[in-house]
Amino acid sequence: MIARVWQLLVVVLAGAVAGCAEDASKMRFAQNAAIANPVHRKARAVVEKTLEEHFGTPLDSVAWLKLPVNYGKAEGKVKSVDGRSVIVDFNAETSDLESLKSPELSRAGLLFTSGANQGESFLLASYDPSEKSFETLLPLKTAPAEGDQFVVAGQNLRHGRKLYARHCQHCHGINGDGDGTTAKYLNPRPRDYRLGIFKFTSTNKDTKASHDDLKRILSYGIPGTYMPSFVPMLKDNELAVIVEYIRWLAMRGELEVQLLKDLKNDYAADRARKEAKESKASTSEIENQIAKQLEEYVANPTEGLAAFIETVTGDMVSAWEGAETADTVIMPPVPRVPDTVASRERGKALFVKTDGGKCINCHGPTGRGNGFQTEDFQKNDAAGGFYEKRGLHDAWDQPIKPRDLTRGIYRGGRRPIDIYRRISQGIKGTPMPPVAATVKPEQIWDLVNYVLSVPFESVPRKAAKAHSVAGQPSEHGNAN
Amino acid sequence: MRKFWCAFFVFWPIVAIIYSIVASMTPSLGWWFPGASVTELGQRIDNLFYLILYIVTAVFIGTQIALVYVLWRASHSKDERAWFSHGSHSLEVIWSVVPSVILLFLALYQMDVWALFRVQAYFPKEARDAPIAEVTARQFEWRIRYPAPGKKLQLKPQPDDLYDVNDLHAPINRAVMIQLRSGDVQHSFFLPHLRVKQDAIPGQIIPIWFKAEKQGIFELTCAELCGWGHYKMRAQLTSEREVEYEAYLKKLQADQNYDGHATPSAVAKKDE
Repeated sequence: MIARVWQLLVVVLAGAVAGCAEDASKMRFAQNAAIANPVHRKARAVVEKTLEEHFGTPLDSVAWLKLPVNYGKAEGKVKSVDGRSVIVDFNAETSDLESLKSPELSRAGLLFTSGANQGESFLLASYDPSEKSFETLLPLKTAPAEGDQFVVAGQNLRHGRKLYARHCQHCHGINGDGDGTTAKYLNPRPRDYRLGIFKFTSTNKDTKASHDDLKRILSYGIPGTYMPSFVPMLKDNELAVIVEYIRWLAMRGELEVQLLKDLKNDYAADRARKEAKESKASTSEIENQIAKQLEEYVANPTEGLAAFIETVTGDMVSAWEGAETADTVIMPPVPRVPDTVASRERGKALFVKTDGGKCINCHGPTGRGNGFQTEDFQKNDAAGGFYEKRGLHDAWDQPIKPRDLTRGIYRGGRRPIDIYRRISQGIKGTPMPPVAATVKPEQIWDLVNYVLSVPFESVPRKAAKAHSVAGQPSEHGNAN
Repeated sequence: MRKFWCAFFVFWPIVAIIYSIVASMTPSLGWWFPGASVTELGQRIDNLFYLILYIVTAVFIGTQIALVYVLWRASHSKDERAWFSHGSHSLEVIWSVVPSVILLFLALYQMDVWALFRVQAYFPKEARDAPIAEVTARQFEWRIRYPAPGKKLQLKPQPDDLYDVNDLHAPINRAVMIQLRSGDVQHSFFLPHLRVKQDAIPGQIIPIWFKAEKQGIFELTCAELCGWGHYKMRAQLTSEREVEYEAYLKKLQADQNYDGHATPSAVAKKDE
């Protein structure tokens, strides 16, 4: 009897432990109606295979060297070997591993560059930072000798994934699609990285977000949304690896979206049904034909899948690398215009001018975010036609409200330079347009001065109502 | 078996007492309570705690001795019958009056500490007159609003207010007050080293004061389970000398007015 109780207890405990252990999770693939559904399932299988090949799964990720991601690399020499553990000495300039504990490093790659194991790579099972010794997942066939050189790589990705899983995945999802477990309770929705677009950047309108931009968001959070600040809980090196991991996820998502968009043309989901109707061939015949065509597409080295990936990644690399160059960062050519009544007046005049900044169209005459565009049907550029719901939409097809400037909440930062950059270059992925082409820097500063003064303007409520668009809903109660 | 229970009830109190003596004599082991508070009021709160601990220890030892004595006597004599005490008027008076007196004593004894800690009228005047910051707890961070250097904190945000997140700065050796708010649900502002803990309640502005007497960075956490990301609300209190505090506000001001031309003291977030 007692033995049976013990047995049961062991089973229950084992279940509990397994339940708590990290799920050997798979990467999620696009499932949404707009991107994935129109593509034939066989073509989608090709996309999934391609992504697995180049990015792997979260627990078994692949460091695709083509991408401008700092996967982490540390070089060193073997000092001595003690049974299975190898005691090592890292080169002075690569102290990347110093702060890492074993679980963060485990399954990073190790490649011997000299000695008996030269050219062979292993996965790390554990690392002891105090002893500077590591064990490999599979035993080394021949023990390395003292002085053998090696490279450890991929630890940033490993460490980044670990932290991402703990702090970010809940909202942003395992593949960064902004559809984590808590996402459905949030408004605004968490960012979906897969378009490669981040809203609050210091770079110009055509450029991606830089490392510093992403780090700034992690450090300061986004007021007015659910994105909190992660400092001082996370240290600098931890923020850096999370940023690397997010960029990696964004690139993975971009490749996925691009592939699906490309394949949609030739391999639409309803192609077999359509062609069967037209040609009177059976659906299974056409299905076979599709499979054959896809095989050829994958195998063709010059015009097929490989070439397409080459082009897409080429563009991606230059776009992400471009964000790191100093000349893409927007720096106002003139210092801030002194914040005087006259400057605010000029800013306000520009704000309400319908052929100038056009701010009024969305943000409304008093900056409450209730311009006439919020009541109008908007064009859906991606899908063609108009959105079903009235009001503005962002690049993720989510309804979006122009900021209510009277609330004094600035998502992308409240520094004058942050607001200057947003007015000058617009907000990526949103209908907020860049005005740098038509509005002079001094005028942008006037606008900044006016915008920053809006929360403190004393507008009698009645007057504000009289000014605003007729028939609009209440100005209050928008918590976002 | 009777002897066993006797030994069992002797054994545990002895272990507990030995543990307490060893732990309190050698704090380096880290078995005892955390170190002294960095505020005077915190030390007084600790003293109250220790007073209760002493009373409880005395009661614990007394009851254990009585328990063991009863067990010991019963285990030696089979003839002696138990004494049925139910309904004894004098006994009931004793065990009602003695604890009541102790509780009444504690209630009166702690009143001045409580008043100093919670009742705004008893706060030090310098703290009450000039709150240094407004701290708004929200899922899952602490947003902090300081008045511009040389100005007073207003109830409503002012154009020159300074903002920071998760890093509250306060000068040492000065009683300071902050206004605590919540932006969404109930949180709790907890400074363990200063023995300050106060719930943040939506719709209320709750004043808290403290006077740090030690320089350093102290943990500021949320002590009320406020949602799934509760653990993320790990901020810090930087208590520093008056000059450093002023320099910090100046730096915050410079960063907040950064227009790409003035040199910000540090655009990147403070690093550890």
